[in-house]
Amino acid sequence: MSTTTGLGQTPYSVQVGIPAATLKAKRVRRRLDLTLWERLYVAEIVRGLVVTSKHFFINMIGFIFPPAGKKRKVFTVYYPEEKLELPPAYRGRPVLVADADGTEKCVACGLCEKMCPAHAISIVAAEKAPGERYPARYTLDLGRCVYCGYCEEVCPTEAIVMSDEYQGLAQRDRNRLRFEKEQLLRPEAKVKTRLYYVRRIYSKWNY
Amino acid sequence: MLADLIESLAKIVFIFTVNVGVFAPILGWVERKQSAVMQDRIGANRADILGFTAIGLFHSLADALKLLTKEDFVPANANKFFHTLAPFIALVPAIAAFAIIPFGGRYELFGHEINLVIADLDVGILYVFALAGLATYGTVLAGWSSRSNWSLLGGLRASAQMLSYEVAMGFSIIGIIIVYGSLRLTDIGAMQEDFFRWGIFLQPVGFIIYMTCAIAENKRIPFDIPEAESELVAGYFTEYSGMKFVMFWMAEFLEMVTISAIVTTLFFGAWHIPFVTDAMLLSWFQFAGPNGAAALAMLVNIVVFFTKVSFFIWLQMTIRWTLPRFRYDQVMRMCWKMLLPLSLINLSITGLVVLLL
Repeated sequence: MSTTTGLGQTPYSVQVGIPAATLKAKRVRRRLDLTLWERLYVAEIVRGLVVTSKHFFINMIGFIFPPAGKKRKVFTVYYPEEKLELPPAYRGRPVLVADADGTEKCVACGLCEKMCPAHAISIVAAEKAPGERYPARYTLDLGRCVYCGYCEEVCPTEAIVMSDEYQGLAQRDRNRLRFEKEQLLRPEAKVKTRLYYVRRIYSKWNY
Repeated sequence: MLADLIESLAKIVFIFTVNVGVFAPILGWVERKQSAVMQDRIGANRADILGFTAIGLFHSLADALKLLTKEDFVPANANKFFHTLAPFIALVPAIAAFAIIPFGGRYELFGHEINLVIADLDVGILYVFALAGLATYGTVLAGWSSRSNWSLLGGLRASAQMLSYEVAMGFSIIGIIIVYGSLRLTDIGAMQEDFFRWGIFLQPVGFIIYMTCAIAENKRIPFDIPEAESELVAGYFTEYSGMKFVMFWMAEFLEMVTISAIVTTLFFGAWHIPFVTDAMLLSWFQFAGPNGAAALAMLVNIVVFFTKVSFFIWLQMTIRWTLPRFRYDQVMRMCWKMLLPLSLINLSITGLVVLLL
């Protein structure tokens, strides 16, 4: 058996946040009977001040002399200018995958329409040639979509996947959240990592 | 006579500019930015003029513009006269308290003796306490005249808290007055020329008590029970908007500056650099002629004084962003059962030591 796409098994690696290996578990002291020294409170305040000012000075140094290879020490992302590299498990707006010739892979079987718990998908099927179906209209109402990913799980031809797109999902008019087939089509290269990930988690290798 | 007038006016303009023009707007920015840096965040940085953000400094400007153009709202049934009067009573003591704080020594400039303090009062520190007592009225009036439950509760809490902490604050300062034998702040400042006679070495307990009480007087976290956001919306200034709101906000920041200035003057050597006397400064700057030397020494005094003040503002900000808020009964217990007895013990030990030596 061969895979339906010619992607090969290129491994991917995307990292977000602090790697788990570098996080150290800290011991929490849960003794509630305080000693006299602690009940005097002043020393404990000084201890707290030391902790916060340590953060203050380390971050100040980090702002003035950023660590090598980074712009600053603080993790915060300046959102519109900088964007997080999202992991392949992220479920953004569902999109239709286009073939090499620009037409959709979808065969209008209607499984996603049937599966969708929020009734967000509606398909009008038609035939290109006798026995070869395609969606004449494929409407996705993102006002209804709950981003569960069932459509992607159930799709037999890998025609619909959850992309990493999260912008433009807030509109002043509900009608503008209704996306047609032409707006949803994406070239296969754009959703490659997600396709690979979907095959792995849903065991779609043998399709 | 004319020279005296010009000198006084120059000092008033200087202090007013430093306080209202520099410290009040900058502290709003410092509060935002310092809390951000302490909590591993970035902080306000979006307001810009032609793409130039100046690390968030323009947010103060944007705030000022916004609040100036806001509606000046007085709630229905509120006592309009007192509602308008309260922010003034809150703000004026905060500015006026700076009049007696010396920010430099006594120098001879063009044959005219210049004393770097606006009003060299004999009663000195008592004047500050009088004004602190007056500031209570601003808070209580604001809470009472707003005709709002939250404001009234905030005002009640503020009155009880501020009156209680004034007692402990007064006793904590008497130790310093006994040690230096003067109420005049310029005398106290001049006596701290010797590094080992700084107030912090002679009265360490007094410093801790004064700092605690001063933060409580200023109603900042951990003693911000009169304006507790999670309980009373904004406490006594819930019903204020626009410029009147800014006045409360500025009063808080200016009081912070005043507290830092008093702590610097009483406990941390006023305008002196450790191990450097004013005479030494004058001899170092001899190359600029007698008048130039005096002017340079004055400049050094002022810079040193405001550097120390900035450090204590930083300390107060750090305390504010480190500690959680006390419960109301804890605030009261801390004052009457811990700080007041402690300050009395400190006072009697100081008196005994001064008597025996």
